[in-house]
Amino acid sequence: MSSPAPTAVVTAPVQASLAAGPAAITIDALGKRFGAGPLVLDDINLSIEAGQFVCLLGASGCGKSTLLNIIAGLEKPTEGAVTVASGKAAVMFQDAALFPWLTAGRNVELALKLRGVPRKERRTEALELLDLVNLADAADKRPHELSGGMRQRVALARSLAQDRKVLLMDEPFAALDAITRDLLHEELERVWRQTGRTIVFVTHNVREAARLGQRILLMSSRPGRIVNEWTIADTGSRRIESPEVARLGDEITDQLREEIRRNAA
Amino acid sequence: MPLDTETATDKVHDPGHDELRRLEAGLDSLQAVPETPRGAFRRTLDGVVPPVLLLIALVAAWQVYIVTVKPRPDLIPGPLDVFGALASAWNSDRLQLAVTTSLERGGLGFLIAVAIGTPIGLLLAECRPVRRAVGPLLSGLQVLPSVAWVPAAIIWFGLTDATVYFVILMGAVPSIANGLVSGVDQIPPQLRRVGTVLGASRFEMATLVVLPAALPGYFSGLKQGWAFAWRSLMAAEIITQGGTIGFGLGSMLDQSRVLADLSGVLATILVILFVGILVELVVFAPIERRLLRRRGLMAAGLR
Repeated sequence: MSSPAPTAVVTAPVQASLAAGPAAITIDALGKRFGAGPLVLDDINLSIEAGQFVCLLGASGCGKSTLLNIIAGLEKPTEGAVTVASGKAAVMFQDAALFPWLTAGRNVELALKLRGVPRKERRTEALELLDLVNLADAADKRPHELSGGMRQRVALARSLAQDRKVLLMDEPFAALDAITRDLLHEELERVWRQTGRTIVFVTHNVREAARLGQRILLMSSRPGRIVNEWTIADTGSRRIESPEVARLGDEITDQLREEIRRNAA
Repeated sequence: MPLDTETATDKVHDPGHDELRRLEAGLDSLQAVPETPRGAFRRTLDGVVPPVLLLIALVAAWQVYIVTVKPRPDLIPGPLDVFGALASAWNSDRLQLAVTTSLERGGLGFLIAVAIGTPIGLLLAECRPVRRAVGPLLSGLQVLPSVAWVPAAIIWFGLTDATVYFVILMGAVPSIANGLVSGVDQIPPQLRRVGTVLGASRFEMATLVVLPAALPGYFSGLKQGWAFAWRSLMAAEIITQGGTIGFGLGSMLDQSRVLADLSGVLATILVILFVGILVELVVFAPIERRLLRRRGLMAAGLR
């Protein structure tokens, strides 16, 4: 089903301890500035293992969304290179950005159509994908009839419809209420375990990162650099209220604040 | 073999997942926006009753003025005089002829304007250099009263229907093209990005994303285009008479003026007004309501 993968072999200075499995995303000495502006991203080196759930955490304006857009191919790096082993990546934004003139089902079907799935199979496959996010009943509803959380789930189904091995998510739950967000964390984790996608999840919410990530990367601001990272042993699902998430969250928050303070002067 | 499929479905049915499903379903139903659509009958009633009441009140006030002040009937005719003029125009078949001629011209002219204005609008919206060059000219043409083209059109095409159509096109095409341009401009950039992310080609982007997304703006351009077409048509018909030009509402209006028949003039104005309202109600309003409701853009009061 997946498109032929142009497996570009990039000999990147991989951070030794981390790349245990095959790298799904390799970022090599990446730098980015917009026009003649200041450096937004500086010397990012990163190797993300296939099937890993990575959270990219940082304060507003640290360039984490820019980094995601570069990985997605929506923006070009100023220097360095990004290689996505499986070709292109699927992307999900903070705003569900469903097409308002199409029903939820048709939105998913459009992604299938652009992927080249034959017409006859689209309807069934779209329903299966919607069922995966527990929205099979809402297939005939239009985006404005859905709640924010439901729209975001349709957007998730749509990005899964792209059938790309890598899923990039740009603060997808930031605009949702806490109860809905909590459920969507569970939903996303389940989908991740079921589909084996590599996920890069951008957030400014420390607890969210600690709840979801297998690996958390903390970015500094101006210029954006990766300053620290945490790897969490995968011992199954953890709740956002659990003491381990709280402890990890506290630790990350302290570091994050330290980074923000450095911008005061 | 059937056992295999059993286990495949079984995998999905772990209790934790079921619990999450029920939790989500509960939250979904809590957050669902209940929509109570009013019936077609009720909607029609709500739409028709207030304007009809206003009409009755206006005519009554007019009649009261005639009865109490008693103005000269050749300067201020009463509602009954106007109605009489309407009836006599109907009986002599002039009214039917004028309405069908004008509607035919207006409709055909409008369709030609759509066929010309749409590609121009698309070109302007998607091609920056063309837009920078042609954009100001097109906005200018939209402001220029198309009746100003009548003298030139008469010199070019003589007293033929071509003159009338030319004036209609000069009125309607800029509105339609500009409507499409603003429709495209108002597309949230995020929708295009989604198109890119989903791997849409340039053609797919235009047909599957840009055009449907621009539809509300395009449609209001069409509405405005029709209004301009209808106005331009009336102006052209009033000014250009004779030759091979058929008898339209504008011609009827001018004929009544020549005869100093104010009742006839007012009757014709009312007919022109009502034709405009009718086209809006029968053609544009239902399409617009459908278009906006499907996208959730309808204000609550209009549902």
